[in-house]
Formats: sequence, C-alpha cells, structure tokens
Amino acid sequence: MSADEVELPLWRRLLINRFVLVPATIAVAIALWNGYVATHDHGIVVGRVVDAAGLPVPDAAVVLWVLNFTTYVEKTRATTDSAGRFVITNNDSHNIRLAAEKPGVGRSARVPVRLYFRAQDIELNEPLILSGAS
Amino acid sequence: MYRYPRWPIHLALVGVSLLMLIPFYWVLKTSVTGENIFAYPPSILPKSPHPFYYVDVWYYIPFARYFLNSVVVSAIAVIANVVFNAMAGYALTRDFPAKPFVLLLFLSCMMVPFQATIIPAYLITGRLGLLDSYWGLALPQFSTIVCIFVFKASFDAVPRSLIDAARIDGLSEWRIIWRVMMPLAKGAIATNVILAFIWSWNNFLWPLIVTRSADMQTLPLGLARFLSYQEDTTGALYAFCIMVLAPGILLFLLAQNEFIRGLTSGATKG
Amino acid sequence: MTIAPAVANRPYRLARKRTRQAVLVWCFLAPSLAVFLLYRILPLLWNVVLSFTAWSPLRPMRWAGLDQYEEMLHDDVFWHSLWNTLIFIASAPVGIVIALGLALLVSSDIRGRDVYRTIIFISYPLMTVAVAIIWRWLFDERVGLINYIARSLDLVDRPIQFLNSFVWALPSVIVANIWQMLGFYMIILLTGLQNIPPNLYEAAAIDGANAPRRFWRVTLPLLKPSLFLCFVIGMLNSFTSFDLVYVMTGGGPGRATELLVTYIYKLGFSQTRFDYAASVTIVFFVLLVGITWAANRLSGGNAGAVEKD
Repeated sequence: MSADEVELPLWRRLLINRFVLVPATIAVAIALWNGYVATHDHGIVVGRVVDAAGLPVPDAAVVLWVLNFTTYVEKTRATTDSAGRFVITNNDSHNIRLAAEKPGVGRSARVPVRLYFRAQDIELNEPLILSGAS
Repeated sequence: MYRYPRWPIHLALVGVSLLMLIPFYWVLKTSVTGENIFAYPPSILPKSPHPFYYVDVWYYIPFARYFLNSVVVSAIAVIANVVFNAMAGYALTRDFPAKPFVLLLFLSCMMVPFQATIIPAYLITGRLGLLDSYWGLALPQFSTIVCIFVFKASFDAVPRSLIDAARIDGLSEWRIIWRVMMPLAKGAIATNVILAFIWSWNNFLWPLIVTRSADMQTLPLGLARFLSYQEDTTGALYAFCIMVLAPGILLFLLAQNEFIRGLTSGATKG
Repeated sequence: MTIAPAVANRPYRLARKRTRQAVLVWCFLAPSLAVFLLYRILPLLWNVVLSFTAWSPLRPMRWAGLDQYEEMLHDDVFWHSLWNTLIFIASAPVGIVIALGLALLVSSDIRGRDVYRTIIFISYPLMTVAVAIIWRWLFDERVGLINYIARSLDLVDRPIQFLNSFVWALPSVIVANIWQMLGFYMIILLTGLQNIPPNLYEAAAIDGANAPRRFWRVTLPLLKPSLFLCFVIGMLNSFTSFDLVYVMTGGGPGRATELLVTYIYKLGFSQTRFDYAASVTIVFFVLLVGITWAANRLSGGNAGAVEKD
C-alpha cells in the first residue's frame, strides 16, 4: 500500500481522500440547495378553483392561512380571474392552508399544503373544489 | 482449527445487530411519517414518508445556530486539547526534579470525574466571567489526562538515537518537536482529536449548567430543550434527533478504525 | 543532552542549558496544569470547604460544621439516590457478561466480523441525549415498540408505562445504558482476546481440554485485566450517567430513577443549595474513589480509569 502512496504528489494525498471528498460533496449539495432556495422563494402560490362539476369558478375568494406556532392565522386573500386561477404573492410560510369560497357556489375544504422551505414558489396541481352551495 | 458450524454464530450476531439498529430505524421511521405517534398498531414499514418534519424543525428552532455553537465549542476544545496535551506529554518524557509529583497530580486528577466538580466549576467559571460564552463552554476540556498519557507513550516510543542525531545536526528544540516528534505521533494526535471531539460534541451537563441564553445552546442542549417544550407529540422531535445524530454517525463511519482505536487506547492507556 | 560542544566554560553552559530545559518543561506543562488546577483540584477543595459551611449566592458564608452531613443522614432522597446509583453500578457486570459473549462470537473467524463489530459499536460514540430520546420513544406506553412487541406476543395484556412506573423506570434506564455501553465493552474485550497467544489454546487442545474448559482455564484468566478495565469504566459510567437519566426520566417518577449525579445537579441548580450539593458531591466522590480502589485491589493491579465527560 505504501508504494502507491509515496508515488502520489502531496496535494493529491491531502485533497483526494474521504475526509475531504465527503464533506466537499455535502458542502456542494448544501450550496446547490441554497441556490435553488434563493431563486424560488418569492412566496408565489398559484392554483385554480373549480366547482363540483369541474368548471373554473371566477371571482371566488381564496384565503391563505399560515402556521403561527401552533395555530393557523389568516395571512391574505385573493380572488380568481375568469379562468378560475388565483395568484398569491406574499406567502412567507412553509406550512400553509388554502380554502376558496364563493357565495352561491359553495366553499372548499381547507387544503393543507406543506412546502420544502419558507415562501417556496408553488403551483398547486389539485384545484380547490367548491361544493355545497349555500 | 476447530470445526464448528458457523450459522449459529451468524444468527446470534445478526440478532444483536438488529437489536442495535432497530432503535435507529424506529426513530428514523417516525421522523419521516410521524404516524405511530397517533396510530396503533404501529406499522413496520413507513407509510407515505415525507420530509416535512425536517422542514418544521428547521423553522421551529435555530438549528444552524446550535450546530454552529457545537462546532465552535468543539473546535476550540479539540485544538486546545491537542496542543496542550502534546506539550504536557512531551514535557513528561523529560526528567525534571518535580516529575513524580506532577505525575501523581495528574493521576489523582484522573480520579476526579467532571460530574464531581460541577458546583465549584460553575462558580469558578462565573468568577472568570465566562458563563454563557464559547470559552467558558470549552475551557474545562482544554486538557485531558488520558490523552496526555497517550502522547507521552507515543513520544516515549520515539528512539532516543533519532533525537540525538537530530540534535547533532543542530536542530533546535522546537524543530525537533515539529520535524521529528510530531510526524511520529500521528496516531496519538488522531486519538486525541477523536476523544476530544466526542467529549465536547456530546457534552450535555456542562452546557446545561453554563449556558443561559438561547443563542449559546449547543446541539444536545437544544435537543433536550426541544423535548421539554414539545414532549413526544410531534415527529419533529425525532427529525431533530436524526439531524443531531447524522453528523456523528457520518464521522464515525468515515473514521471508523481511528474511532475504535482511539477510544480503546484512551481507555487502556489510562 | 550529553552532546554539548567542548568549550572552555562547559559547566556554565550545562547549567544554563539545564535551566533552559527546566523552563521549557514547565512552560509545556503550564497550560495543562492550569486547567487541572482550575477545574479539578480547586473544585475539589472548594467542595470540601462548601460542604462544611452554609452558603448560597445570596447569603454570606458561615461555618456550619457537620450540619450538612447530618442533614444528609435524614435525607430520604439522598439515600434513595445513593441506592439507585449502587443498583446502576451493579448493572454494569450484566452488560460486561453480554459483551464478553459478543466478543467471543465476533472474535471467531467468521465472514463479516468487522461489519458486526461496527454495528455493535456504533451506539457508543453517539450523543447520549439523542440515545435517551430514542429509548424514551421505544419505551413509550401507548405506541412504543417494546410495548407493541410485548402485546403482540401476549406477554402483557395492558401496556406497561415503563418510564412512569416506580418498578420499571430504573430497569428501563439501565437497559438503555447497557445498550449504549455494550459495544465499548466488547471492543475492549476483543482487544484483550487478541492479546491471548493462540499457542496457549493449541496447548490446551493437545492436553485434551474441551471448549468450555479452554474458556474457563485459558480465556477467562488471561482476560481478567480487560474485564476489570470494563468494570471500572462501567462503574465510572454508571456513577456519572447524567444525560441518560436527565432526558429519559428526569429522575422521576417521584425519585424512582434519581441518581447521585442528578440529585447534585438538582440541589445545585434548581434549588440553589450549593452548600448541600457540595457535601453530597463529597460523599459521591469518596464512594467513587473507594469503589475504584477496591476494584484495583481486587484486580491486583492498575486497572486504570477513563474519563467520559
């Protein structure tokens, strides 16, 4: 084993070993993750609201609750456009709940959404479904 | 040599290995599902694992701050420990009038466990004005007797003729230490680094006594505090537990042989 | 140091050299000595002084003679924690015997022994606070793994509240402690086993000794130093096992798992009774020294000691 090690130049022996490579890999992973977080933390939540038949609901009120220690508090409201889409731009939490409501069409369940980091930009795959017209 | 079937040995060892590993698995599973906090019977395999308890922990507590505190305290303790112990170990290879007395002092200090000194140690640290500071956290671990003897043994093993030859070549005392002794004491240094690191990284009692502010908490302290706030009601506690254990396990797996050799020589040299 | 150039004023040179040497030696010793004086010797003396006085940060110091020790005689909690500490120490041999079995298994020439060794050892260097939380979770009465297994096997019909029961709390903590220490004992015993010359076994085998006889006549006597080392380490560990108890039970329920260490901590830092805590510390220390001394005498030599802060 020593014969090979002597051949290697000093810098390689100091740099190319597991005590350097493993921490370096972890550091790179952390840096990449932080880079991703820094470019995707505008707090934008995009989603759709549909009625029980699956048709888009314009002018529905969407409420965003954010977790504050142990309780969810209302953070902001938005209304959907003609295509039933809503955009919230000031989410600053990692643990949120969304619900939509429109008089005459009904209200949706409170949908919990978990994010990987605070204010992560997200587009909801599942629309909020209004039901139980009141 | 002797013929005997191997499978009972494997069976027994696999059983023991499972006993050692299942606790980790159980906590890891809870940290990604949180399910068996609420559900009975608990499921053996994780159902729909998710990383959100880790996200929760990250925002509940200043994990990065605790981690940094632990790293800083450990770094101070390890560096001071290695330097001071190497110096003392080197001094003990020399002959000087008070040597028996110093050896006796060191050996008797070894009989005093740190836990038997906490009250005055706290008062002393207070008088020094070091409560709630990195230096106060690290200071009691600046030197450990076991490691001094590890160094002494490794310096004693350096052939006398080598040192004399270096001295004839006109090397000064310092250069002899750096060029001749230190390269031959690599094993002792590794042992000392590992022991000092484990002691300060895992240390709980001393930070518990010395720290006041939340900003100075180290990882074990943060973990215990988190437990007392949250009780067992959330998977986040176990996520935190895994986050605290992960660096230690990683380090152990990286430097396994050094760890095992260091810990045993630390025990047997004493 | 005999290599000095032959010069006219040689004695003078030598003397100066010796002085320089002495200065060097003391400079090298100074930092370590300072740390030990500050954090070992001085605290010990301070403890002795405190134990004979009545003092707290808010009151002036006053000579109290043996008052603290007299109080200790009537202090049920003290006796209880002393008793618990002794039980804790007495549990160390259990772990050592298990570890001896494991060491014998791992030292056989099977494949994958290094993997087994690593797995069994891994719990030792880990943070005790985290280990305590893991075991709290395993012992949980509602959904803990241990209760689940016991109930699945119909061993119990109602879940046992391990850490909240006066009967089970101390054994539970002891189990966790043995679990953590097992790998360490095993490694020490493995080192001891490797140091036994193999030709002794061969000689014993030629003499017709069977495996159990070889174990009793060759292995065990030669392993005695390692076993005593394990015992001393285990005893020290039990004496100073603060983290595990503090996190797992906090000394409770009631005082069921109170050890001397946790009692000292509580006296000092929750009740601010530094003086009384100091006198309990003195008893704690004397007991420790006494048992270590006895162990050393029994082992017939220097079994050594290890510190684990």
